[in-house]
Amino acid sequence: MTFLFWILATLSVIGGLGMLLSRKAVHSALWLALTMMCLAVLYVAQSAVFLGTVQVIVYTGAVMMLFLFVLMLIGVSAADSLRESIRGQRPVAVLVAVALGATLIAAVGNALDFSVGLQAANAEYGGNVQGLAALMFGRYLIAFEATAALLITAALGATILAHRERLFPRQDQRTRSVERFRSGVHPGQRPSPGVYARHNAVDVPALLPDGSAVPDSIPGPLRARGTVREIDATATEEVLDRLVGGAASDTGGER
Amino acid sequence: MTPISVVDIDYVALAPVIIVLVAAVIGVLLEAFLPEAARRSGQLLLTGSAVALAFLTVLIVAASRPFGPIAGGSLMLDGPGLFLQGLILLTSGTAILIMADRRVDPGGDAFAGRVSTLPGGEEEREVSRRGLMQTEVWPLMLFCIGGLLLFVTSNDLLTLFIALEILSLPLYLLVGMARRRRLLSQEAALKYFLMGALASAILLFGSALAYAYAGTIEFAGIAERISERTTANTLVIAAVALILVGLLFKIGAVPFGQWVPDVYQGAPTPVTGFMAAAVKVAAVGALLRVLYVPFGGMRWEWEPVLWIVASLTMLIGSLVALAQSDIKRMLAYSSIANAGFILIGVAAADQVGLSSVLFYLLAYSVATLAAFGIVTMVRVPTGEATSLEQWAGIGRRSPLLATAFSLILLSFAGIPLTAGFIAKFGVFTAAITAGALPLVIVGIVASAIAAALYVRIIVRMYFTDPVSASAGVASPSPLTVAGVGLGVALTVILGVFPQPVLNLVEQTSIFVR
Repeated sequence: MTFLFWILATLSVIGGLGMLLSRKAVHSALWLALTMMCLAVLYVAQSAVFLGTVQVIVYTGAVMMLFLFVLMLIGVSAADSLRESIRGQRPVAVLVAVALGATLIAAVGNALDFSVGLQAANAEYGGNVQGLAALMFGRYLIAFEATAALLITAALGATILAHRERLFPRQDQRTRSVERFRSGVHPGQRPSPGVYARHNAVDVPALLPDGSAVPDSIPGPLRARGTVREIDATATEEVLDRLVGGAASDTGGER
Repeated sequence: MTPISVVDIDYVALAPVIIVLVAAVIGVLLEAFLPEAARRSGQLLLTGSAVALAFLTVLIVAASRPFGPIAGGSLMLDGPGLFLQGLILLTSGTAILIMADRRVDPGGDAFAGRVSTLPGGEEEREVSRRGLMQTEVWPLMLFCIGGLLLFVTSNDLLTLFIALEILSLPLYLLVGMARRRRLLSQEAALKYFLMGALASAILLFGSALAYAYAGTIEFAGIAERISERTTANTLVIAAVALILVGLLFKIGAVPFGQWVPDVYQGAPTPVTGFMAAAVKVAAVGALLRVLYVPFGGMRWEWEPVLWIVASLTMLIGSLVALAQSDIKRMLAYSSIANAGFILIGVAAADQVGLSSVLFYLLAYSVATLAAFGIVTMVRVPTGEATSLEQWAGIGRRSPLLATAFSLILLSFAGIPLTAGFIAKFGVFTAAITAGALPLVIVGIVASAIAAALYVRIIVRMYFTDPVSASAGVASPSPLTVAGVGLGVALTVILGVFPQPVLNLVEQTSIFVR
């Protein structure tokens, strides 16, 4: 028993320190889970079986894993919380925490002079779970029932803070497409640059069949930077001639 | 093997709490099933009648039920508990009147139309264009009131802790729901939540240590174990220290009340009023019970701590209030200072002290509610005019409002013929009889500092020329007028004719152990 205690106590303190000192939030959460598991085993070892089980199922299994999921989904990065906004706060906090811890350890260590033990408590109602039931539905019924108010408040609060009603009509593909045609802008794809031009480079505008340039075919950033290449009119002519000349020789010289 | 016994519950004695909490649950159901248009009136009707009914029930219980533990010993029915329950319902009812007003703000009531919308976003504009209102506020208020009622009557540390959580959780939400200056409000809510969670944890830790010491969390059992002790036990001292920290946090005493100015400033003003009045009443009530009943035998250990905390609270509250330029922050520091005066009475640790604290709570809570009610009415186009500069010359434009506010400030300052004078006189007398003369001297110095502050504001309202950015006074609905009127009227009546109430608090001020 003492052997078990020292191993688990060491592990849970390591878990607690690890939670505080690890830089990544996910690692912190995992360290905390370790501490909780150790506590659960300690509870069971002290014949509080139900509490130990609940600790594993509810705290470690549900709450802590939910934490982990949230951390992973939101993606808290390590750089987020490490900046001190108040200068010198950290050393002072460490000092005060150590002082408080030392005081409490001294106070608790000096004074624990009796313990009834859970064996007697468990025997009174014929078991651990029965004993808890006797307390929860007997002496502490009001506290137990009042917890309902707490849970409803939490659910209500989460709804208020997170639930967004649909204030504007839902945008589906149809409404979006109708809107786009109504607005009068070019509805289809734009011609890509360089298609009819001599170059296939992105900074050369596409040409319409009549030989005029399509400025919209150049990507916006290039237009904004002003690096659009002018179309060399002679080159166009030359290409046209060659194309047309080729075509003429193919079709018998008609232009 | 003992069979599990069924607890005998006196439902009549428990009725005030049951009425309020059941009404809160019905309120949540109304949210689900009533159409948007009918929700606000439905909720108002439900909330108002529940609080009124609960108040009546408290009177009935006080008249008809024998004092003693109820509901298996979780709660204690006694004079101070019932008085505080009545006071909580009275102040909550007044706060609800002020909260229900939708005329002073052209946009609606004091709460954001939809809290989930981004501040300043497209959706927020759409919400205010449609005039939507967040009606979940009312069930949250009822849950909070239910928690307050449990808090002042709880008879063991577990019920105390759960009551504390029931009252805190809705407050964290309500603080962050202001219609105007929403980012400030949300920041306040987050601060309050983080600090409050820490304070709750400390209280719980203290309770665990108390259990480790006494082997029970029932107040009577702890008191018995303490009376048996022969030597000083470090465990129980640590327990009292931690529990004190948790409770003094809610009261807002220095140095645990660092959250008060930020939260009072950021919260919607009617909620600030509610926190400064009803929540403070409940927190002081719980502190009184915890110090007098389970830890009464340790008076010599906790009294010096309370002396120091009370002195610091009065002095720092009054001094820092002098430096404020924002009316809500000023009132927040003034409420910290008032918490210090209340603690003088608590430190007296006898029946006179208890009755003086009960009277102080009544006088202070009605006045502070009226003060925050008046703050909601003084407005500029973008919201409340919280900057003190904008209050210049209010007295010339709306003399009635300025008179009411001056009366309240005079009561805070403790000028004769106001309730504040009788209240301060009461706690000072109690402290002198209990041998706490140094504390009284500090109290008088702090009162003088605070009086200078309040007179400065009165001078600003009456004798300063209005500046171009000066605020106007919105015409309030009858609800706010009733709420503020009740507060001002009680402040005057209790100052001129306090004897019936003094008799009442004297009769009620015995804790059943």
